[in-house]
Amino acid sequence: MAKKRPAVPSRKPKAKLTPRDKKTMARLTGLADRVVSAANARRDPYVDIPSRTLSNIRYSPRKRIIEMGSNKNRRQLFDLSQAKAYMRTVLVASGCKQLLDQGKTTSLRGLYYMLKHTIEGAKENTFDDQGECDTIIEDVEVLLNSIREELHLYAENRGAMVGHITLRDRGDVIDCARMGSGGYAIPSIVEPEIIDLSRKKCDAKFILHVEKGTVWQRFNEDRFWEKHNCILTHGAGQPPRGVRRMLNRLHNELKLPVYCVLDNDPWGYYIYSVLKQGSINLAFESQRMAVPDAKYLGLRSIDFDRCGLSDSVKIALNDNDKKRAKQIAKYPWFEKKRKWQSEIQRMLKNDFKLEVESLISKDISYVTEVYVPERLEERDWLD
Amino acid sequence: MATAKRKKKAPSGTKKPAAAPKRRTTAKAMAASQRDISVSEFFAKNRHLLGFDNPRKALLTTVKEAVDNSLDACEEAGIMPEVWVHIQQMAPDRYKVGIQDNGPGILKKQIPLIFGKLLYGSKFHRLRQSRGQQGIGISAAGMYGVQTTGKPVKIISKVSVRKPAHYYEIQIDTKKNQPKILNGKGDGVDIPPGDKGAKYIEKHGIEWVDQSHGTRVTIELQAKFVRGRGSVGEYLEQTAIANPHVTLHYLDPDDFEYDYLRSANMLPKEPKEIKPHPYGIELGRLATMVEDAEGITLSEFFRTKFSRVTPAISKRICQTAKVSTRINTRKVGRAEVDSLYQAIQQTKISNPSTDCICPIGEDLILKGLHQVVPAEFYTAATRPPAVYRGNPFQIEVGLAYGGTAPTQNVTKELLVELLEETDARTVRQFLIYTFNGLGADSADKIIKAGSLGTRQTPSKLKPADVDKLFTAMKNVNISDGQSMEVLRYANRVPLQFQQAACAVTQTVLGTNWRSYGLGQSRGSLPRGPVSLMVHIASVWVPFTSESKEAIANYPEIQKEIRLGLQAVGRKLGMYLRRRLRVKQQSDRREIFLRYLKEVSTAVSEINGAKQAELYEQLVRVAKRHTADADMKLDDRGRPIEDKPEELNLGNNVLIVDSATHAAAINRVSESEEDEETEE
Repeated sequence: MAKKRPAVPSRKPKAKLTPRDKKTMARLTGLADRVVSAANARRDPYVDIPSRTLSNIRYSPRKRIIEMGSNKNRRQLFDLSQAKAYMRTVLVASGCKQLLDQGKTTSLRGLYYMLKHTIEGAKENTFDDQGECDTIIEDVEVLLNSIREELHLYAENRGAMVGHITLRDRGDVIDCARMGSGGYAIPSIVEPEIIDLSRKKCDAKFILHVEKGTVWQRFNEDRFWEKHNCILTHGAGQPPRGVRRMLNRLHNELKLPVYCVLDNDPWGYYIYSVLKQGSINLAFESQRMAVPDAKYLGLRSIDFDRCGLSDSVKIALNDNDKKRAKQIAKYPWFEKKRKWQSEIQRMLKNDFKLEVESLISKDISYVTEVYVPERLEERDWLD
Repeated sequence: MATAKRKKKAPSGTKKPAAAPKRRTTAKAMAASQRDISVSEFFAKNRHLLGFDNPRKALLTTVKEAVDNSLDACEEAGIMPEVWVHIQQMAPDRYKVGIQDNGPGILKKQIPLIFGKLLYGSKFHRLRQSRGQQGIGISAAGMYGVQTTGKPVKIISKVSVRKPAHYYEIQIDTKKNQPKILNGKGDGVDIPPGDKGAKYIEKHGIEWVDQSHGTRVTIELQAKFVRGRGSVGEYLEQTAIANPHVTLHYLDPDDFEYDYLRSANMLPKEPKEIKPHPYGIELGRLATMVEDAEGITLSEFFRTKFSRVTPAISKRICQTAKVSTRINTRKVGRAEVDSLYQAIQQTKISNPSTDCICPIGEDLILKGLHQVVPAEFYTAATRPPAVYRGNPFQIEVGLAYGGTAPTQNVTKELLVELLEETDARTVRQFLIYTFNGLGADSADKIIKAGSLGTRQTPSKLKPADVDKLFTAMKNVNISDGQSMEVLRYANRVPLQFQQAACAVTQTVLGTNWRSYGLGQSRGSLPRGPVSLMVHIASVWVPFTSESKEAIANYPEIQKEIRLGLQAVGRKLGMYLRRRLRVKQQSDRREIFLRYLKEVSTAVSEINGAKQAELYEQLVRVAKRHTADADMKLDDRGRPIEDKPEELNLGNNVLIVDSATHAAAINRVSESEEDEETEE
């Protein structure tokens, strides 16, 4: 071997496996055993990875979420174009096995460094950048039907929340009403083992999710959550899994409705779509993440006229935006909603997009004092 | 008004005769200085027309003319040619050139005329494929030598063992275009055979190689000796390629000996002399021929003096020209000749017979290329004869694709051995002389890469330096940026100058080599370690100028060249594609094997399987898989052989292992090498 793996599992004391870990471990061992038996039988080892593409997802109108289909991509060791990906898949699995053995978790980047080394007898690395490793991890998740948390992996904390709720994070009591200007950073893993929610400790009546940190700051500074008795979250753009899972849990366990304030552009629409139905890439997790009842408060295409904004806040749509808008309009979960169709048509007709911050041109606190309260008052939202 | 003024002025002009231009000389006086210009005088002043533009070219032209004549003479007499070329430096800008052949020898009375009179020869008046055409060459070389050094041309010629050899020292009388014999009171000297004669020859500064017959000419001339492009060495090397039946010995001024041994033991077929074809004749020539024809009928004239003219065709020509077939040639006037000439162009006449052309042949081209050019793949194509302007010609193309450079093939032991036996003064010189085809640029690159001093003596290199040199030789890619080398030949004579003006080069440039697996930028020669030879054989090669350096652009010739290039290009393309495929397959096996260790380690970490055992099993599966991949079937459903050497490309292809090529490395001498192997 060119490089020793950083840890030799047999020598380290083995941590006690939780029942959940045992299940994951069984799946990992099953994957390895299949390689051995294939080699014994002189056959190609392969793995069938459920395909994570638009063609392999199905929108379930009953559950109102995106579900993964049954299409699978076969990844073979003895195929020139797949050999490296296969090797990486097994490598990631062995990395996760080590984490489970030692009862530790690591970041995606940590795993990347754990597994990155030069292949013996070649000037080639197992991984050259983290992106390559991350996609393989997602592959392993769907392959083993074990989510990231079960593989002892977490992502960087992204997104924040603040509001009238008190929760326990690894035993620490967090009062989200006392988080100052920064808010409580939503961790990557918010499973019940780590974060404990309780109905009794929540006074908030709804959740307001905004697209990004800057807008969230505006709402926090204006103590919007205090006035309206809500929880205020943001997902730093496309919300990571931690934020989505948190929203899902808050919604399902505490019965809080979710309202979103996002930019009026195709990306904003898609963020809403991901929050509501789940994403195409992680369709296998929609059940745990999606909030089918989430509502879209704004910004709306009509807001330019409705709020009397000045021309200077318009951002012209580029070709990419138009293409994306048309794609979104064709998604099955938008296709049958006439209001959404006219919303997207209106934006295309406008030929410009609006960011939430454009409301600041009216007044610094227009969005918190007028826009959102009015929408909530009028129950004026898109579903 | 103007005319009026002039009229007035006219009388005043007569008064002042000084205003009119004064006659400088009279017709009579001028006639006194008008006289014949001898051919020799003309060429003495216009040396560049014959290839004596500069000292460098003069040396080459001298060798070239002598060698060409020798080869022509040997072949005509039916002797396997063997030629010795010796260049010796006498003064910084003065060289003595000696060229000897084993030809039939020259009769005593002919020697002074052949070597001492311009435009004297047997080749000009006949239409026959030969190297020389006019009979200017060797005498012009002698004249140049005499003019620049004052030393006479020395000729020894021997007809048979028992007869004495003739020895002449000759100068050309440029005014009369006549030879002037200096020795033996203007009569030459006869050297008796045997030791006594040998001593006499040696005393006169001539290195006669003892032969039963042959001729040696020695010319001392002002010259400059160079290596590389346009050098004597290059000329002889290229001659050896196109004439595999010739043995050449070359001793250069630095006492390096090059021997090009014959690889074919058959003389080329003797070319036939043909009559001119009507299409190839110009109006003036036709008129002269009509005048020269002595009182025969026009019909007879056409039938006997031209090839491919039947009575029917001759009748048709005359009818078109509205001249009677039975008219005597003496009565044919200028006007009739003109209309006859027009009529010839309008009449359909079959092409001349092409059996008068002697191509080298695909086999011999392969042998010649293999003998001289180190490469791994050789192919050749001989086109069927074709005709331009009534002159038959034939195109042949040979191609050598070189594998790795000799510097990269050499082993450490061999390098040490070569360093010991070389007598080169510097490492740079050692590299250039030892490894064929390695230019000065590449040698410099190697020395720079090995961070060696340029002036280091090869035999005194320390072991560490030898290591450095060795790794540098391995690492420097010589063929990087190398482009195709085009060797042009006309009637087996290499053409070394005016490459750009030549039809061959233009056709090579105009061919798309990319489809044959070579890189090529627009309007330039293809890249890669390729040597290409193109030979045009013809009874009359259309040169662009008298110095015979480039072939004129006839569409018929270009077309034939292009077809020849395409023929060898296709073979090369097949070979290169095959090589690529084999490489891809081995790459593929490598990729699998590379990942198997990772996979087996990872798996054994997860489930505790035995890593080594699993690895072995996976390798076995991988081998089976790539074996399948190797066994690809070709388009006819037959399995393709694994090695490119076994690829069947037809019979005019030669594929060798370039690592063991004899021509790649110059050993100091054969005998020394033998001794070493015996040890």
